[in-house]
Amino acid sequence: MQQVINVFLIGISIGSIYALMSLALVLVWRSTRVVNFAQAGQAIVTTYVAWEVVNRSGSFLMAFIVAVAIGGLIGGLVESGMMRTLFKHASDGPVASVAPVIATLGLLGVIRALVGLIWTNEGKRFESPVSTAGFVIGDTTLPFSRLNLLIICTAAFVMIVFSIVFQRTNLGLALRAAAYNPEIARLSGVKVAMTRTIGWVFAGAAGAVAGILLSPNDSLTPYSLDVLFVFGFVAAVVGGLESLVGAVVGGLVLGVGLSFITFYLGTSLVFPTAFIVLVVVLLVRPSGLFGVKGARSA
Amino acid sequence: MLKRKHEESSKREHNPYRRRILFFLLLGWALLLLGDRVSELRVYQGALIAIYALAIGSLILLTGYSGQLSLGQGAFMAIGAYAAALTQIYLQPPIIITFISAVVVAALFGAIIGGGAARLSGPYLAGTTLALALGLPTLANLFSFLGGETGLYFDVGIAPERFGSEFTLYKWFFWIAALATLIMLFFIQNILKSRYGRAWKAGRSNPAAAQLVGLHVGRRKVLAFTISAGVAGLAGALLGMVSLVAPSTFTLSLSFAIITGAVLAGLTSLTGSILGGLVLVIIPEIAEMVSGNFGESEAVRANIPGLITSLLLILTVLFTPNGPAEQWHHHKEKKKQKAVEKQKN
Repeated sequence: MQQVINVFLIGISIGSIYALMSLALVLVWRSTRVVNFAQAGQAIVTTYVAWEVVNRSGSFLMAFIVAVAIGGLIGGLVESGMMRTLFKHASDGPVASVAPVIATLGLLGVIRALVGLIWTNEGKRFESPVSTAGFVIGDTTLPFSRLNLLIICTAAFVMIVFSIVFQRTNLGLALRAAAYNPEIARLSGVKVAMTRTIGWVFAGAAGAVAGILLSPNDSLTPYSLDVLFVFGFVAAVVGGLESLVGAVVGGLVLGVGLSFITFYLGTSLVFPTAFIVLVVVLLVRPSGLFGVKGARSA
Repeated sequence: MLKRKHEESSKREHNPYRRRILFFLLLGWALLLLGDRVSELRVYQGALIAIYALAIGSLILLTGYSGQLSLGQGAFMAIGAYAAALTQIYLQPPIIITFISAVVVAALFGAIIGGGAARLSGPYLAGTTLALALGLPTLANLFSFLGGETGLYFDVGIAPERFGSEFTLYKWFFWIAALATLIMLFFIQNILKSRYGRAWKAGRSNPAAAQLVGLHVGRRKVLAFTISAGVAGLAGALLGMVSLVAPSTFTLSLSFAIITGAVLAGLTSLTGSILGGLVLVIIPEIAEMVSGNFGESEAVRANIPGLITSLLLILTVLFTPNGPAEQWHHHKEKKKQKAVEKQKN
């Protein structure tokens, strides 16, 4: 029983990271109808910056703040610099529907290459800010560590901030209106173009948090967040790709599920399971758990 | 005047098939002559170009015609390569049978996955196939007969005696790869010009209208996915032949490289696929030269090719979304139209 609780808690910890990545993807999807394949690339930049800041100043908190700020900045720049040009040029023609995917993939490649040029492809050791040894209760050591607790708390904090912004502020109202119906939102005075950029800024910040939470106690390379992207995507699809709540729930469910599979069946089954979950959700309930029906097919 | 023009064009329409055969035969002959006159390294690169061209062709069929973007061509290539290697190891049939088995097995997987994927559009399909490309190679570690990280050795044997003793192994690879690619590209070209190709185009451009004229768009999409997977499987088997059938051969970067090649070649023109293959092989060469100028740093050498290809990818999609070839064609058409109008006046 104790073991089950432990595996569950670790699942929540890793799942909240997936949830953040999934949140980033959903934010971008809601604002511009694009799945941002460069999201992991943007996060890798901020994670390397965070690593650099931690190395120079030793302060994890400062690294966190810098990473989030830069993540938001990159998100905004990508939207206003690249995606706007793309929508202007490639709005029709045979490849219009795949052009955003290709463009963001290209961006991912550019970012990885630049990161590799600056910091080399060798794995960097990202030290954990807190102890990674498990908590000790009585005379048993649990696999659940301070780091896991910190991850859960940080992710929860970020999600609470997001939900306050979305539910309680005028900006959040504008963002939701623009996602729900851009035409009517524009008529009621919402600057839709600006909400798009803001959506990308929030997404960049959320992705940055996911990257910085995943990397401690692990090796950091230009490719180390690919897996996070895929799990974030699966989580977003499970949650419906439209819904912010769905993204979080999808991430947590996926994290807990994969945690149990890792523990009881072995790591090699994690990827196949995630893929099967993705395909089954897409086939059985294409709108996801929280999605709107009919959004999925062309 | 108009009538004669019509006759002319219909005459031209009559034997495109024969013209295509002639074109491919000439191309094959030219390659054959070329293969004897260049160094071993170039022959090896020639084989790579052929393999990439074939993989790009499979993606052009799928994305340019049927409108489905797959980021998982590398996964289907892996399936084909493992199928060929396992057939070769356990049954030792004639070499052509191993390649056929690669096509069949990959197509089978394509049909299964395509059955689900045909319901998805744009980013959903891209994400699903991305998960496939990232997840499938990990299966190699799960089953011991797949050889784990070290992979399998796909041995096609040496060239037959009658080619002479100077016929090197790489030249033999080049012959197999170039021949397979030419035959397959010819096959794809014919499919694309047939009613299937037109149906795919119709389903891509306007699904509602295509359904209205009685096309089953979903079924056509599954068919496109199946054929594309089969072709990719053959390309994978060929790649396994020149390198190794291992997870490290069929990485996500391979899938991305093929997309890059297809986009640079123009997603809607099959003739561009050979050009795309050429670009994919040339860029690392250029990168080698560039990084030579920056001193022999490992980070530079490892990342310059990725930087160049990705930048090209973004620029292409931003400014000539239908590919440079298509853009040029469009430009030419416009010029012709203008000239005709001028004549009229």
